[in-house]
Amino acid sequence: MHKKIKLSKSNLLLKVVAYVVMGLLAAMAILPCLHIISKAFSRGADVTAGNVVFWPKGFQLETVWYVLTKTPFLNALKNSLIVTIGGTAISMFTTITTAYPLSKPSFQGRKVFTLLYVISMVFFGGMIPAYMVVRTLGLIDTYAACILPFAIVQFNMFIVKNYFEGLPEEVEESAWLDGAGDIRTLTRIVCPMSTPVLATVSLLYAITYWNNYFHAMMYTKSAGMQTMQVYLYNIINNSQEFAENLASGSGFMANITSEGLVAATVTLSIIPIVLLYPFVARFMVQGITVGSVKG
Amino acid sequence: MMKAKQSIGRFFRYVRRHPMMYLMLIPGLFFLFIYKFAPLYGILIAFKDYNIFAGSNPIDAIAKSPWVGFANFERLFRSSEFVKVLANTLIINGMKILFLFPIPVICAILLNEIRNQAFRKLSQTAIYVPYFFSWVVVFGIFYSLFGSYGVVNNVIAALGHARIKFFTDTGIFRWLLVFTEGWKEIGYNTVIYLAAITGIDIALYEAASVDGANKWKQIWHVTMPGLLPTIVLMFILKVGYILDTGFEQVLVFYNPAVYDVADIIQTYVYRLGMGQMDFPLSTALGLFNSVVAFVLIVSANLVSKKLIHRSIW
Repeated sequence: MHKKIKLSKSNLLLKVVAYVVMGLLAAMAILPCLHIISKAFSRGADVTAGNVVFWPKGFQLETVWYVLTKTPFLNALKNSLIVTIGGTAISMFTTITTAYPLSKPSFQGRKVFTLLYVISMVFFGGMIPAYMVVRTLGLIDTYAACILPFAIVQFNMFIVKNYFEGLPEEVEESAWLDGAGDIRTLTRIVCPMSTPVLATVSLLYAITYWNNYFHAMMYTKSAGMQTMQVYLYNIINNSQEFAENLASGSGFMANITSEGLVAATVTLSIIPIVLLYPFVARFMVQGITVGSVKG
Repeated sequence: MMKAKQSIGRFFRYVRRHPMMYLMLIPGLFFLFIYKFAPLYGILIAFKDYNIFAGSNPIDAIAKSPWVGFANFERLFRSSEFVKVLANTLIINGMKILFLFPIPVICAILLNEIRNQAFRKLSQTAIYVPYFFSWVVVFGIFYSLFGSYGVVNNVIAALGHARIKFFTDTGIFRWLLVFTEGWKEIGYNTVIYLAAITGIDIALYEAASVDGANKWKQIWHVTMPGLLPTIVLMFILKVGYILDTGFEQVLVFYNPAVYDVADIIQTYVYRLGMGQMDFPLSTALGLFNSVVAFVLIVSANLVSKKLIHRSIW
């Protein structure tokens, strides 16, 4: 680099702006999370008085323990895990098996089948017609109803298809010559070569299932089938009642407040996301890069 | 004739050699037909005086309900609610585009200027975190911050001002939606632009630097042109999906006090159908939404193909 003292002043200004703005934005993203986590672990009196800002005041675990043992939290967790794990497995299966034939230029009927997926992407029957189908199939209040809407997400399928198209043709051809059929080629050659994109897309699916509120709310009725997001939403909106019932009951606990209850439930519900975050962030960045380079 | 015969021959030869390729398509098609194509039949509800108990099941009831032509659409277009929810959808999503669209571009450029790898990684990771939270979690967090007795209002009260009802004030609620959307989505969009910046040829920066361009000029003459295709694509996508975005956010955040400013097409479709059980009107509005959205998205794709030679799908 040429040394140009004249330029360095404006360059320095840019640096300062970059550090300050990004520092502020990072703080704005993280501080609200710290706030809710702090509330979950703070003494009831401090929570109600509004003393808790970004760090716990009077650390206690009673609220978290209460949520885990005395509320349907674990049941909601179970439901969400079943939907997320089962759903992601089904979605990945359908996505890979659909993407592979559609990625082959020689595949006869490629255009027609691809068109079906594009059409379904741009035109949707609507909320009520979809509900009628789910209801007619007798799927209301089942895990299947929570999985069905995302069993194959066209956008994700196209990401995988694009990636498959970019793989070198020769490897698969040599597998063919060795007598491997289409299924064997897919499972033994193509999938192992595509781990980055498959990891990214399975995370996309998992996050979609885990975070989905609307379909789970619309397609389930009984309290026992509530997924984490549905349960969380109800707790946030009814926490006042919940805490009042608690206060009038026999097991009064000073640390359990309506706000603390919400904070503890929110905090517990984001633990799976936080645990997965290192993988999620890395693979998502990779995935986005893969997608944008391919064009 | 010859050509057709040839291609049919080729087709059957391919099917005989690769039967598994067609079997593989079945799971995907199965779900596609059940959840994406079967509901298309349900669109008929919009043209019927639908009674869910007219048949042995809700789908059978569609065939057995009497036709009413466009009566449901007349009812829809005459209602004041229709204009309101259409306007709200456009206003809320328009505000989001206007105020949030440029931020990730700026963030990506600024992040790219940060040479301290630890700081860069940390800030990038931090702004990316909220993207992975559900709207319910975001609601829980912001209710705790901006609720009547949340931290923000406690500070306002301590300063001697009246508490602000962020969640029920019709003048503020839309800004709350814009702000929380930004909080959740800016990090993700920044990463997209950051990936595009990484694709820009370093030699261009070196050449600009030799020519005496300072960092600001390099950003304007090298980074911005390099980012332009991505910016155009993102903008087209945002406009193309203007009717379809924000549903889950509004559904989770809103309440009857702010229906006038926050009720969008999809939330109204939901309340009409599942709340008031007015399936025909709800389906008619849903169909209106689908048709307009379809036109928007297909046009967006045409524009994208023309301008930057890239198809959205």
